Amino acid sequence: MNTTRRQTLGLIGAGALAAATSSLLSRQARAATKITVLNWQGYGTDEAWALKAFTEKTGIEVVHDYFSSEPEMLTKLRTNPGVYDVVLINSARSQQAASEGLISPIDFSKVPNATGLSPELKNHANLQLDGKTNGVSWVWGITSLAITEGSPKPDSYAALGDPAHKGRVALFDDAVTGVAIGALLSGQDMNNPKDLAVVTEKLKAFKPNIKLLWSSEDEWNKAFAAKEFDLSIFWSGAAVRSKRNSKLPVEFVVPKEGGIGWLDSLSVPATSTNPDAGLAFINYMIDPDFYFQWATKVGAPASANAAAMEKLPADDLNRVIHKPEYLKTMTIQSALPDDRREAFNNLWQEVKAFYAA
Amino acid sequence: MQPEAVSASTTRGPEGSRARPGIPGWLATLVLLLPTYGWLFIAVLLPLCTMFVFSFMNATPMGKAPIVFTLRQYQVFSTQPYLLGIAWTSLLMGFWTTFACAVLGFFAALALARATIGRTRETLLILILLPFWTNGLVRIFSWTMVLREGGFLDDVLHWVWPGAGSIGFLYTRSAIVVGLVHGYLPYMILTCYIALVTIDDAIIEAAASLGARWWTILFRILIPMAAPGLISGAVLTFVPVLGSFMEPRILGGRVGVTMGTVIEDQFTQAFNWPLGAALSFTMLAVVLAIFATFSGVLRRGSGAVA
Amino acid sequence: MIGLARFYLAAILVFLYLPIVVMMAMGFNESSLYELPFHFSTKWYVALAGNDQLISAGINSIVIAVITAVVSTILGTMASVALARRTFKGKTLLQLMLLPPIAIPWLITGTAMLVFFFWTGIGRGMHALLIGHVALAIPYVVLVVGTGFQTIRADLEEAAMSLGSTPIHAFFSVTLPLLAPSILGAALFAFAVSLDQFVISYFLATPGFTTLPVQIYSAIRKGFTPEINAISTILLIGSMAAILVFAIFARPGGVSDKR
Repeated sequence: MNTTRRQTLGLIGAGALAAATSSLLSRQARAATKITVLNWQGYGTDEAWALKAFTEKTGIEVVHDYFSSEPEMLTKLRTNPGVYDVVLINSARSQQAASEGLISPIDFSKVPNATGLSPELKNHANLQLDGKTNGVSWVWGITSLAITEGSPKPDSYAALGDPAHKGRVALFDDAVTGVAIGALLSGQDMNNPKDLAVVTEKLKAFKPNIKLLWSSEDEWNKAFAAKEFDLSIFWSGAAVRSKRNSKLPVEFVVPKEGGIGWLDSLSVPATSTNPDAGLAFINYMIDPDFYFQWATKVGAPASANAAAMEKLPADDLNRVIHKPEYLKTMTIQSALPDDRREAFNNLWQEVKAFYAA
Repeated sequence: MQPEAVSASTTRGPEGSRARPGIPGWLATLVLLLPTYGWLFIAVLLPLCTMFVFSFMNATPMGKAPIVFTLRQYQVFSTQPYLLGIAWTSLLMGFWTTFACAVLGFFAALALARATIGRTRETLLILILLPFWTNGLVRIFSWTMVLREGGFLDDVLHWVWPGAGSIGFLYTRSAIVVGLVHGYLPYMILTCYIALVTIDDAIIEAAASLGARWWTILFRILIPMAAPGLISGAVLTFVPVLGSFMEPRILGGRVGVTMGTVIEDQFTQAFNWPLGAALSFTMLAVVLAIFATFSGVLRRGSGAVA
Repeated sequence: MIGLARFYLAAILVFLYLPIVVMMAMGFNESSLYELPFHFSTKWYVALAGNDQLISAGINSIVIAVITAVVSTILGTMASVALARRTFKGKTLLQLMLLPPIAIPWLITGTAMLVFFFWTGIGRGMHALLIGHVALAIPYVVLVVGTGFQTIRADLEEAAMSLGSTPIHAFFSVTLPLLAPSILGAALFAFAVSLDQFVISYFLATPGFTTLPVQIYSAIRKGFTPEINAISTILLIGSMAAILVFAIFARPGGVSDKR
């Protein structure tokens, strides 16, 4: 039929047009790939200079959304399918998110920098579910004691109840940390203490010393700067920042019971529309060059990438505080089943009510 | 007596008595009420109903865990008795804040209504309302700078009397009340002012000329006439104060534990929505009960509809 | 007596403005941690000028607050009229329905809205924010205007009608002007409530569209710096100026001064 030639020409023409448009579109799409990262505010992934470098290198644009608590992070993941491409998840929550189908297993072939990760951290039990690793270890730190420089160094968490510090102690307002302190002081496993009554007792004994409870680094900084307390529970990375950037006279001390460790990981939400771009971003986040800048310019927790840590000068505050031997006495917070978490929360609420009475 | 006549006439509506063509009475009422209550219903009441259902669940209903219904969240006052202490503290805090606002606010409104006129009065009213428009967090944080040991309060003291100790009282219950009163006083001043500004001078002059002393005028005339303002001010103060969590947290330190902070913890830290919801609705029930008793007392007392 | 009254008002103003003055002063203090002694610096205002996020959040807040004030005042006044002037069954129930938004901590209401809006597809964003803000402001408006209603005399309207006016005309020419101060007060309340409403905004705003209280509260983690003081000061001075302008131009000489 004579329409065949017209049809064929038309098809070729349409095909050419389609090919041209699609390559044009995909080039535009590549240039306009946008990923949304869900994280704490001011926690490394939103450093302006880093984002600029990343976008220049890969053409991927990065936008952020923030949460101010872990339950909130989970809520946002659940109620916003398709919105996020990278999410920061504390390793203690990783299994929960994975079992709910919120995050997908990591394709390490797309994360070349992962070869430098410390093996204990890369495959840590917390990040595994059903034999698959669902997050890339990113940064870790220790929650432990902080004392005003010049004061005698405490050697045990029991110092929190020492009459020498009456009314000069600040605790971190967090149930899991509180229970951990009580557990460590009573020789129990902080992730699964069997005797909660003794934990409560230990914590309640601190009452005359406690002046306030802080729930953010900024709150700690402002109160410490105003000299409201001398001894406190604090985060190692935050101690680096407070000392280096805000010039506060604080010293970080890990007592004999060991530090309360945490490990943060970066994961890709299962509903992400740009998982490869997300993985590229994660790869950049564990890049030793990025870490070097972040740690020296701004202040960062310890990197899970041993190669990155080694890039730091030997006397760097970050390296000094995150001594490798602490990894031996440190217990990393792990996943808590719901009923245990609820028990911890209620315990902490009771302790706080006791402090307030 | 004048007050009764006024209150009696405010309950009568100008409808029904004359046969007027056009919009039937019930339709007019509906048109007036529907948009507002429709909005409230969809935006607030239905969501709150969802929360109410949550309060009967075992755990926050997200994720794959099956939903289990239970009454145990509402039994929490007996399973965790320390909550009773917290509830009582919160009620006291609400009471003291409302009382302080009522006293301070009433006299401020009175002063405005009777001792100032025209431009001055309007300027003062605006000045009183403006602190409202600053961000609550920054405002409360600024109080910490005033109230802490070595803060501005101490500075003023030492300027007048060097060598004195510290009168800083940050991280105490009083500090929380100060912050709360500061935040809610403008409500009370405004509502009392609205009530007081319509008082006719003639009444007061008549009472004075009949030999009434100032306290008689105050307690038998002014306060009763300001009652609507005091009541709505009390509602706008007491009720939110019970659930407040910013002032207790920031100004209270260790003692800053109230129903508000406990509820907030359930939503932001503990992720136990059913418990948080149950506590809130319990609080709401207590509030309604208080108002039911209170308005009953009022109704019997003054003959006016509360 | 008048002297005493004026002194008392001055004392009240001192109390109300003490933290405000501190807030404004600390916007000019050098330390990012609000440390004293005081060193004057304008660096926070400079930083604010370059902080697009904070500025757009501030502008969003104002826009939403204005819309909220207008809509909630209209709706609240309408409801108030019905509650005060019409007789019908279920009035107490309707009055009680105003309590939950004020009684239940906004955190609960905010979470509830987030969940409910998500399920019903209303979603998040500016429209959701407005729905939430107006809903929260309505009870304040109804309560304040309701107070106003209780202090004016209904028989004035009846008098007007007995002189031949229609009910609507009587309302607009007699009652409404008498209510004007309460309505204005209610509108100012609604504006303030919306401006400082953090919780609802936090849950219902989308990433990228935030309001000032959300920015400030989120900044708790990163650290709120005196930039916050700077923008709060600017907003405050701006509001003062706006009201001043309004007062000067909206007054044709007659002062509603009941004596």
